[in-house]
Amino acid sequence: MQKETKPESSTTVKREVTAARGERRGASQWAVAWRRFRRNKAGLAGLFIVLFFVFIALTSTWLAPYPSRSFQALYEGEAGQPPSWKHPFGTSRAGLDIYSEVLHGTRGDLYVGVGATVVAILIGMVIGAVAGYSRGAGSDVLLMLSQVFYTIPLLPLILLFARVFSILVAQGFGLTLILLLLGVFGWSSISFIVRGEILRVRELEFVQASRAIGASKFRIIFRHIVPNILTPIIITATLFIAGNILTEVVISFLGFGDVNTSTWGITIQEGITYMRTEWWTPVFPGLATLLAVLGFNLVGDGLSDALNPRLRD
Amino acid sequence: MDVLLDIQGLKTYFFTEAGVVKAVDGIDFHVGKDEAVGLVGESGSGKTVTGLSVLRIVPKPGRILAGTIRYEGEDLLSKSEEEMRKVRGSKIAMTFQDPTTSLDPLYTIGNQLLEVIQEHRKGLSKEEALEQAMKLLEMVGIPEPELRVRAYPHELSGGMKQRIAIARALASRPLLLFADEPTTNLDVTVQAQVLKLLEELRDKLKMSLVMITHDMGIIAETTQRVQVLYAGMVAEVAETPSLFRKPRHPYTEALLQAVPRIDQRKELKVIPGNIPNLINPPSGCRFHPRCPYAKELCWQKLPQLEATDDGHMAACHFWRELSLRGV
Amino acid sequence: MMSDQPLLKIINLVKHYPIHRRGVLLKKQIGVVHAVDGVSIDIDPGENVGLVGESGCGKTTLGKTLMYLEEPLSGQVIYDGINMFDAFHSGDTKKIHMIRHGIQMVFQNPYTSLDPRMTVYDILSEPYIIHKHVPKDKWKDTVYELLRMVNLEEYHAERYPHEFSGGQRQRIAIARALAVDPRLIIADEPVSSLDVSIRAQILNLLMDLQKEKGLSYLYISHDLSSVRQVTNRVAVMYLGRIFELSKTDELFINPLNPYTQALLSAVPVPDPERNRTRIILPGEVPSAINPPSGCRFHPRCTYATQICRQEEPSLREVLPEHLTACHYAEKFL
Repeated sequence: MQKETKPESSTTVKREVTAARGERRGASQWAVAWRRFRRNKAGLAGLFIVLFFVFIALTSTWLAPYPSRSFQALYEGEAGQPPSWKHPFGTSRAGLDIYSEVLHGTRGDLYVGVGATVVAILIGMVIGAVAGYSRGAGSDVLLMLSQVFYTIPLLPLILLFARVFSILVAQGFGLTLILLLLGVFGWSSISFIVRGEILRVRELEFVQASRAIGASKFRIIFRHIVPNILTPIIITATLFIAGNILTEVVISFLGFGDVNTSTWGITIQEGITYMRTEWWTPVFPGLATLLAVLGFNLVGDGLSDALNPRLRD
Repeated sequence: MDVLLDIQGLKTYFFTEAGVVKAVDGIDFHVGKDEAVGLVGESGSGKTVTGLSVLRIVPKPGRILAGTIRYEGEDLLSKSEEEMRKVRGSKIAMTFQDPTTSLDPLYTIGNQLLEVIQEHRKGLSKEEALEQAMKLLEMVGIPEPELRVRAYPHELSGGMKQRIAIARALASRPLLLFADEPTTNLDVTVQAQVLKLLEELRDKLKMSLVMITHDMGIIAETTQRVQVLYAGMVAEVAETPSLFRKPRHPYTEALLQAVPRIDQRKELKVIPGNIPNLINPPSGCRFHPRCPYAKELCWQKLPQLEATDDGHMAACHFWRELSLRGV
Repeated sequence: MMSDQPLLKIINLVKHYPIHRRGVLLKKQIGVVHAVDGVSIDIDPGENVGLVGESGCGKTTLGKTLMYLEEPLSGQVIYDGINMFDAFHSGDTKKIHMIRHGIQMVFQNPYTSLDPRMTVYDILSEPYIIHKHVPKDKWKDTVYELLRMVNLEEYHAERYPHEFSGGQRQRIAIARALAVDPRLIIADEPVSSLDVSIRAQILNLLMDLQKEKGLSYLYISHDLSSVRQVTNRVAVMYLGRIFELSKTDELFINPLNPYTQALLSAVPVPDPERNRTRIILPGEVPSAINPPSGCRFHPRCTYATQICRQEEPSLREVLPEHLTACHYAEKFL
């Protein structure tokens, strides 16, 4: 690093010192995190998988050779066939083309997985935010509420509700019902995270500085606190999606799912009885589940690594 | 003067994701028997890493790349981990800046002292070791040691924790103690207590002390000789009174002029610029971007540590020509 | 240029923190931390008042309460004639805005006092969004002017806090405090987290700004040496009370309180030729939950007698403009 003149003004000095730090690329938290994420091969693989599934979910109507829940193969006398050129994943005993069902199921499972997560985050953030930011009895009550919901065993409760609302299920609202149930009973861990983060960030000096300038509570929460607590929420959300997909599969597998919509779980459930002879019916949707859950988990891990290290050099 | 510790050309680098941090980049340093030497510098100067290097406890991704560290004639860098463990604590000890994190919160004070005592003196029964522990606590001025022995770190104040950390370091009567910013986290009046304690202990145990600090006041009051570090290299070495009276390196002068004094009002002279980046340090003399006397030679060639005509060692091309101000 | 009316008048300010223990269902209050226990000081326009003390003395709490970041238990703070707490409680927006415009704060930790998600431009223009005292088309110019005032460059505005060093961040924090054009800045340990060679930059900047803009400061610090250089008057705090208050040089040359004396003698001087007798205090700073009876310093004081244990000395003027809280202050004259 050459210099022509003696260090006269502190400006020249500063320019140099900052130049020595390296050229400036995008320096926002997100840009830095993205660069770090890019270097994580597992995370990238996960992202690729997730995007792949999203693509399928969006285009399944056109990609799939057969419409959802179409038993056409039965009428064509091709039910119960192993994988072939016409039916790459084989057909179920009842006449479903498994390949089409897996494709359509992607949409169903992503709908539940992402939808439930969105509901859980919305509820969890609001409750967690109020619990974290307010002081006094209200905050304690909300905390207790979160703790109660946290300890409720999710699965039995959902099964119960699914049975109770079986009419809705029969009318094809099954997936939405499951989505809502998963969201409504799953928000508690999000609220803990949000509350914890708010407690931490609330005492940080830049928040106090904003109060000192005269910022309104609204501004403090949405301009200062929320952007700074997004990181753990995003990571949890990714992992939630994976978990919710899995839970959907379990619910459907247990027979509480919606028979009228294509999901991986339903397909597995229908095929499990004849697993020995027609293994392809449960196995392919099972693999799809595995892959999707893996993908989201890898993305979650990758995000965790990329977003977490403190940005001080 | 008998030399206890002799470091030559030490280089310790940290291999991080962002690049190679040249934390210690060629440091010569020696400590004599029964001597109190200061290692003064700001953040990034390499003073703490030097101490960690001697004990070979540099955390990853750091590594000692070059140099020799001789203690009582033996080369520490060629020792095995097993052998180093015998050195640590019993021959050379170190205390750290934050006593809260250097004591394990899960164990009582007594437990932690016993651990050290029994490590270096096998064959002591538990009662004998406990007695030793209490004597140590008394030695560092902890009142009611019988009670404190059962206490957990979080029940004690900062000052007491630091004393206990010192007690633990001295459990095996090492001849050399590295004290890394021992009073920085403490209140002023407690700081005075701890400094006095270190002085008394040094006197009683005939121990050599390396005082690692950024505080020029502590250097003035506790050391006989001092080494000034900047950005991983040595800027100046001198006897303490002489360093303050007539520094031979511009950084030393700048530091002395920038530091406020409690006993007089003075103008604080600003050192422009910032501490340099250790991944990409400035070329030539690392202080040149901030040095008011810098000339072309300074950024072209790295100055070597030379002996001056008044007993100092200075790493500056122009120590002969410059007439620098002391306090 | 001083007027008759002090800019800030603090009258008997008290702030306690409750200590709770978690019960089965509810919290129970089991004690109180006497953080600030009756403090009265005045700050005149253009004056720099130092507030020194060790940990637990309450100086940071005092600063925060003055900014109304904490709700006081009792006492009054009058800013430029406005009763601060009344204004906040009544919701009088005009008065609240005057207070928020008038008093600003610079915090200790430059790494947490700037929102890491905002650019410098956002941080410095936030006051304009809130107070609307600068029209939008003038924001850029005003932000650049602020940066220049603290010796930073215009191109720094688009950067994020983590791209700056500690000293630079502190300058940004100072620029932010200046954005509302305040008359009083409360600086809470503004240089403690910075390297020695950087401290002088910030301290000199603060002093320059004071001269240029006629600002007042409340300079809170445990670093007595820097307090000596930058302040006009100093107050020494111990366990929530003021123990001594006088002009700076006077306090450092002629302390009239045993605690102040011990405090001053404990600070090492960067000059090996100076031989000093050190007063080493026994024990540690006691907890603020149960402060000692009578004079709070009596357990550690060499001169303590019966009256010191029983009666808390009041802060009284022993020499012109030199106040101290000690029963035996006259002994030190």
